[in-house]
Amino acid sequence: MNEGLAGEPRADAMQVVMIGLGEEKFALDAGLVREIIDPVPVTRVAGARAFVPSVINVRGNVIPLADLRIRFGMPQLDNSADTRVVVIELNLDGEPVLVGVTADKVYEVTEISHTDVQQTPRVGMHWKPEFIRFIAKWREEFVIVPNMERILN
Amino acid sequence: MNAMDPTEVFRQEASELFEVLEGALLDLGQRPDDRELVDSAFRALHTIKGSGAMFGFDKVASFTHEFETAFDRVRKGEIRPTQELISVALAAKDYIRALIEDPQSTDDIIGEAILDDLRRFVSADQPAAPVAAIAEAPPLAPVESKQAGWHLYLEFESHILRNGSNPLDLLEDLCKLGPCFVVPVTDGIPFLDEMEPEDCYLKWDVKLHAACDKDAIDDVFMFVQDEMKLTLSPLAQVEAPVPAPLFLLLDEEQAPVAEMAAPVVEVAAAQVTEQPAGKAEPKPEAKSETKTETKTEAKREERGIATVRVQAERLDELMDRVGELVIAQARLSQLAASGSDLSIKMIAEEIERLASSLRDTTMGARMVPIGSLFGRFRRLVHDLSRDLSKPVEFVTSGEDTELDKTMIECLADPLVHLIRNAIDHGIEDTATRAANGKTEQGRIELAAVHSGAQVLVTVKDNGGGLNTARIRAKAEEQGLIAAGAVLTDHEIHQFLFHPGFSTAQTISALSGRGVGMDVVKRTIENMRGSIDLSTRPGQGTTVTLRLPLTLAIIEGLLIRVGEGRYIIPLSAVEECVELTAEDERSRGRNFLNVRGNLVPFLRLRELLTASGSPDKHQKTIIISTGETRVGLVADQIIGNHQTVIKSLSKLHSDVTIFSGATILGDGTAALILDVAQLVTLAQSKVEKQHLSEAA
Repeated sequence: MNEGLAGEPRADAMQVVMIGLGEEKFALDAGLVREIIDPVPVTRVAGARAFVPSVINVRGNVIPLADLRIRFGMPQLDNSADTRVVVIELNLDGEPVLVGVTADKVYEVTEISHTDVQQTPRVGMHWKPEFIRFIAKWREEFVIVPNMERILN
Repeated sequence: MNAMDPTEVFRQEASELFEVLEGALLDLGQRPDDRELVDSAFRALHTIKGSGAMFGFDKVASFTHEFETAFDRVRKGEIRPTQELISVALAAKDYIRALIEDPQSTDDIIGEAILDDLRRFVSADQPAAPVAAIAEAPPLAPVESKQAGWHLYLEFESHILRNGSNPLDLLEDLCKLGPCFVVPVTDGIPFLDEMEPEDCYLKWDVKLHAACDKDAIDDVFMFVQDEMKLTLSPLAQVEAPVPAPLFLLLDEEQAPVAEMAAPVVEVAAAQVTEQPAGKAEPKPEAKSETKTETKTEAKREERGIATVRVQAERLDELMDRVGELVIAQARLSQLAASGSDLSIKMIAEEIERLASSLRDTTMGARMVPIGSLFGRFRRLVHDLSRDLSKPVEFVTSGEDTELDKTMIECLADPLVHLIRNAIDHGIEDTATRAANGKTEQGRIELAAVHSGAQVLVTVKDNGGGLNTARIRAKAEEQGLIAAGAVLTDHEIHQFLFHPGFSTAQTISALSGRGVGMDVVKRTIENMRGSIDLSTRPGQGTTVTLRLPLTLAIIEGLLIRVGEGRYIIPLSAVEECVELTAEDERSRGRNFLNVRGNLVPFLRLRELLTASGSPDKHQKTIIISTGETRVGLVADQIIGNHQTVIKSLSKLHSDVTIFSGATILGDGTAALILDVAQLVTLAQSKVEKQHLSEAA
């Protein structure tokens, strides 16, 4: 996962996995990411909340598959050749929980500097502010670092 | 990680010994004359003392020693074990336990106080008549200490040297007790070409001319007693002491002194008496003359049936691996079935058979008799009955019923709650019982029994029974039901499982706070079990816990609803019938006619919001929990499926109709339907229908 990284990470930098959801880019804290897999057949869970609509089998474990696009009110795209499932480990109520997150595209593992962090603007966003940890600048683009614990709780 | 911490081993061993000790002490309260109990308590104490000293628990050793000394008079039959004495002994036991488990929290003063109590009981209580037990018992320590000495016959297992034990050191220790006359017995030595240099072939015949205690001798052999046979008999008074202490040190390989050995063996055989402590069996002489080969073979067999201590996590890991194997095997079977290669099909079948027997064996290894759990409650009942001054008889049955060990652990807390409730609320006080013409002593029965694929654990008291009117009043007061609502008694009793529900007018230290029953229910349901109450006013209450045999793998029925595949636990399935055209047409009523009985049914397609058009011939699976039967309508019944249960994550904890998930042969996940929830759902639907009809 850390391949392709040049040099040691800087102390004030954060390693992230850059993923694309619809038109937006999201940066997931690389420390949370366990693995990135190709899409697998999903099993729909009737009656589950809309953002965790199904479960998947990841190496013998049945884990929930979350759809961030629903949480961020984005249109759902059909799986393409670029679609991946990013398996992250979250701490929910003191217990580690593995969750799969569908990404329309996974770009790369990279670093974003804390100096690039921008204040989350109070206006001009249609997303709930509590879902967003902060917004950072990366290669002249704004990327969202989501607060996964909040999103999935 | 492989080598266990020796202290940890000691702790584990000690905790088992404590259970033995506690059990023996409590039984002794009921049957004070039972010598077996005294002996088993004493043995447990003795082993705790010995291994405690060995592992450096010096405080444990010295305290236990004092305890043992005081208790020795009980063993000698000089004092009767009274209830008071047993209470003190139990306190002493708890103190030792604390010394081992949490030495920081203990205080020497407490220990001293307990010992003082013990000593006071054993010394103040000079018995007027030294009890019948002494007459019945075989001549024990008091007689022993007066005799001239002991005749010992020592036979070690051949591998003893490999464990680092040296019989010669033991003999030297024995010599410290008094003058010894040691004769090696060499008839077990094989010919040179058959000899294993690391085996011990010698046996010893020892005459110990010292008026020492039998315990002193046992102490010498304490750590090898499982690997040796020790036959012990008192030396006859008439036998003259040996002129001078003589100790023959013989090397293993040294030439046999056959002429000397022969007569002594005869003496040993003639004087063999059964050792009261029961550690060593008297060894018939004939056996000692059998060939070494056959003997070692027999020994090996003995060792084969011995138990092995395995860390619980390793068993869990093994179960996980077996689960994965079962899933992989399902994939292989599916692949083989779709192909046409006959040899692969054969291998797949073979692996299927192996996997299923491996699964059974693994599950068997995880099974623990529930008796280990029942034992713990005897102390609880004893203490509660004393604290509440309600004499209670505690009867258990079905201790050898086996359950998955994880479940046994999970069952402890719920059962504590139920037993507390039964004594505190169930059993009336002595006066009330007398007024109602009942025996003064209440009775709590704890039973476990197999029933199909389930285990039923019941807690039954013969107390006053549930006060249905009061529960109802309380439920109305708390706004759980409308005043005047029509409810069956059974429905009213369900409020007891409601969080925060308590009818006790006074809150005692034990129960009445209204926490408990809801926790009990939740714990049981988490194990995929159910809880049931039945009560008869004035005669008592029975709480029945229904538990599945195992938590890890079940037999399931694989069905298809729309595109999705689901598992129904096979233990809940009664039968499968086709939904007739007539049933299909009448959308208004959701009842099946099963041989004259009306069975409500649920359309899984609606419940699971299946897409696509339904199959032409819908199937109905009739499931049951308790007395309720419900039909589930599915598109297709695929067949049996070995279901490895995977729990659903927290993110899906709000979905109640599924109890878990499993992985199918093609690697996709399938959800397991929660039968109990579905039945509840069906019932509420039926009720709604009734309401709408009434409106």
